[in-house]
Amino acid sequence: MLWLLRAEFRKLVRPLVWGTALVIVAFCLLITWGAANNASGGLASPRIPDVCARASTPQCTQVIAHAHAAARAAAAATGQLAQPGQIGHVAAGMLASLPGLLLIAMIAGGHWGGEWGSRTIRQLLSREGRRGRVLAAKWLSIWAAGVVTLLACWLVLAVTGPLIAKVAGLPAPHAVLWAGLASSVSVAGRAVVVLGLFAAVGTAAGTIGRGQLATTAITAGSMLLALLIASIASIGQISPASFVQVWMGFGPAGYLPTNFWSRFISNGQNLGQLAGLLGILLTVVAAGAIARWRFAADVTA
Amino acid sequence: MNVISCKSLTKRFGPNLAVSELDLEVSAGQVYGFLGPNGAGKTTTIRMLVGLIAPSAGQIRLLGRALPDPGAVSQTGSMIEEPAFYPWLTGRQNLKVLAATGGGCGAAEFGRVLEATGLSEVAGRKVRAYSQGMRQRLGLAAAMLGRPPLLIIDEPTNGLDPAGIRDVRGLLRDLAADGTTVFMSSHLLAEVEQVCDRVAVIVRGRIVEEGPPARLGAIRRQIRVQVDGADTAIAARLLARWPTRQLADQFLIEHGSGRDVNGVLAAGGVIAESVTVELPRLEDRFLKIVEEDRHAVAAES
Repeated sequence: MLWLLRAEFRKLVRPLVWGTALVIVAFCLLITWGAANNASGGLASPRIPDVCARASTPQCTQVIAHAHAAARAAAAATGQLAQPGQIGHVAAGMLASLPGLLLIAMIAGGHWGGEWGSRTIRQLLSREGRRGRVLAAKWLSIWAAGVVTLLACWLVLAVTGPLIAKVAGLPAPHAVLWAGLASSVSVAGRAVVVLGLFAAVGTAAGTIGRGQLATTAITAGSMLLALLIASIASIGQISPASFVQVWMGFGPAGYLPTNFWSRFISNGQNLGQLAGLLGILLTVVAAGAIARWRFAADVTA
Repeated sequence: MNVISCKSLTKRFGPNLAVSELDLEVSAGQVYGFLGPNGAGKTTTIRMLVGLIAPSAGQIRLLGRALPDPGAVSQTGSMIEEPAFYPWLTGRQNLKVLAATGGGCGAAEFGRVLEATGLSEVAGRKVRAYSQGMRQRLGLAAAMLGRPPLLIIDEPTNGLDPAGIRDVRGLLRDLAADGTTVFMSSHLLAEVEQVCDRVAVIVRGRIVEEGPPARLGAIRRQIRVQVDGADTAIAARLLARWPTRQLADQFLIEHGSGRDVNGVLAAGGVIAESVTVELPRLEDRFLKIVEEDRHAVAAES
């Protein structure tokens, strides 16, 4: 199994994987840059209603003070996130939401669906006929690619974050550099579980789509469908997207978005975190069962 | 010992019968040719042998183990149709990945197979830059990795230039001399005739002829008789006891003995100008089998 995994990791070193991971990291960087600039702008000119800008009633004084306090709080929070320890929240949240899903969909398409498209599946299966092992190796390697991208994203943000905060003129954080590291590690750990779910869906999609584009489309499409279902009140709570939501505990987006998930989902909040984890694990098992069933069929590529 | 043994092997794709009740025995150390027109069921049979598709009925034993046994398949070197590789990797890297997929092999093995297939010079080049002939050679190199006791090869000389064809023929003979059993399909009948110890001809999913190539041609050898123009009518009457074709003053008689034919003519008072025993080439026999089958299908319908 270790030899097989080694072979799969070697195959991952390809322009498609590097390119997609780079795009995701660049996206996280842009989001951080944009958020820092927005927070800085908000600090310089807090959102004060037009009516209060011209009047000086006691109510308006209160509203203006409140707006200034909110802007300072947001800027401070954003400044905190520009710390190497804290910024892990952004990397983990992004990889456990839509950007991560798109990354896994692309990798699953190239790394797994592409085996059919390029007909290398014949070589693969004539070397290793134990199809369960092939599936496990594919799943683990796709998952690992997601985790490595998460770490790379965190590393890039940790290095560039303080610089971005400084350039944007955000208040310097008072905490030590590694402040928030423990909470970031916890969120990153949860994101790793979600990446495992995405990878399992991608692995199953490969056995259904049996081609690069089809696998990418099925992986992304099935989770987007889950997001759609999650917003339906009657059945939303049993959607895998709701499990991800409660497991990650995604909050509403502030100046610095820490995910691209919670804005598309309104249900699932009633579930506990453990229920979310259970739901994720059940979804992984279901995806594995579908993959095994589909992969047992004849390979005619 | 039989390295490949198929009993009543059958494969259906929906209503279509691709392989029907196929019995096949391949002994150790043989170079076994598998001949048939397009769509006869050659590749389907080979795919069943390497475990890519499951038989609808019947049994396969590979290296003494009943399929589905992934262990037997992983001990078999195979090349199915046009070999496919990972284009972003070099030839050597592709071999390393394939070797790792099957459990790994020594570093010296890569040099050996690259040398044997004449690819040492270009092993460091990306496969996307390989010609079809180079890919074909790399496919053979991959099949030979780890010195498997059985090689199953589909069209081994496809896309090779004449020098390459000669090299591959020599390579296959060398492998057989070293004790490797080679099971190969080919459209190049002259090649099969030169390389193979035994040949099976498959038509419409059934084996219609099997045996050494020389015997296969000689089973229905022909006697060519030339008589004087004045004797053709009497000769035609005398030779009517055998399937005979008349070409002006020549007769082609499907019979094994020139002595019998000459005796009958002499007893009837005809002195033959010449009596020649013609051993049809495998190609002639093959084309005849296919033609006979076509007539049989036409008669059935």
